Amino acid sequence: MKGIPTVLITVSPEVSAQMRPPRALYPKGFKIGNSMGGPFMRELQEQVLRDALTLLGENTRPGQITTHEYPAYGEYHEPPRVRN
Amino acid sequence: MSIARKCVPFTPFEGELSRCTIAIVTAGGVHLNDQEPFNIADELGDLTYRIIPEDVDTSRLQVTHHHYDHTDADKDINVVFPIDVLRDLQAEGFIKGIAKKHIGYMGYTMQLKAMYEGTAREIAIEIDKGSRADAVILTGG
Repeated sequence: MKGIPTVLITVSPEVSAQMRPPRALYPKGFKIGNSMGGPFMRELQEQVLRDALTLLGENTRPGQITTHEYPAYGEYHEPPRVRN
Repeated sequence: MSIARKCVPFTPFEGELSRCTIAIVTAGGVHLNDQEPFNIADELGDLTYRIIPEDVDTSRLQVTHHHYDHTDADKDINVVFPIDVLRDLQAEGFIKGIAKKHIGYMGYTMQLKAMYEGTAREIAIEIDKGSRADAVILTGG
C-alpha cells in the first residue's frame, strides 16, 4: 500500500493536534457533532467540504491544523481543551 | 502517548480534485439501519467498523455513539457524514466521483493500541483495495 491522502475535519483542534493528522481543517467555533456545520445548512456544508478537499493540494505542514472562519454558521462554541 | 511520537503518515496528493474520487471515513458512529449498532455498553469501546455503500439513501443511516450529542446528525446525517454534500460537489464538477465504499466506526475507545494497529489498518485496507478512492475525508463527532 502506498498510502491514501487524507484530510481531517475536526471541531476539537487541540485534541486532534495530539494525533498530528497529515492535514486538517478546523471550522472555527463549530460545536461537537457539527463537523460540517448545522443540519440542512447545505451551502455551508458544501463550502466546508470544498475547503477541506482543497487542503489536499495545498502546501500544508503535516501535523498542523488549518483554521477557517465561517460566519454563516452563526454560532461560536469553545472547543475542548487538552489538560496537561 | 506513543501515537503522537510517531512520524506523521503523510501521503502526498497528486492530481486534480476534479479528476478524483473521494471516500468518507467517520468516527461519528454512523451505520446503516440494518447493520449491527456499535456496542455502547462496553466501557472499553467498540473496535468494529461498518461499510457504507456509495449509493446509500441517507434515510437509511443512523448514529450509535454515546460520547457526543448527535441530535443534529439524527436530523441531517450530513453534519458528520457528508455524503449528500459530496454528491453536490460531484454534480458541480468539483470532484469526479464518490467512492464505492465509505466507513463508519465509533471513535471512542480505551483500546488505543488495538484501534491504531488493528481497526485503523483494516479500514485503510478496506478503502485502498475496495473503494477506488483517490483521497479520504475524515470526520469525527
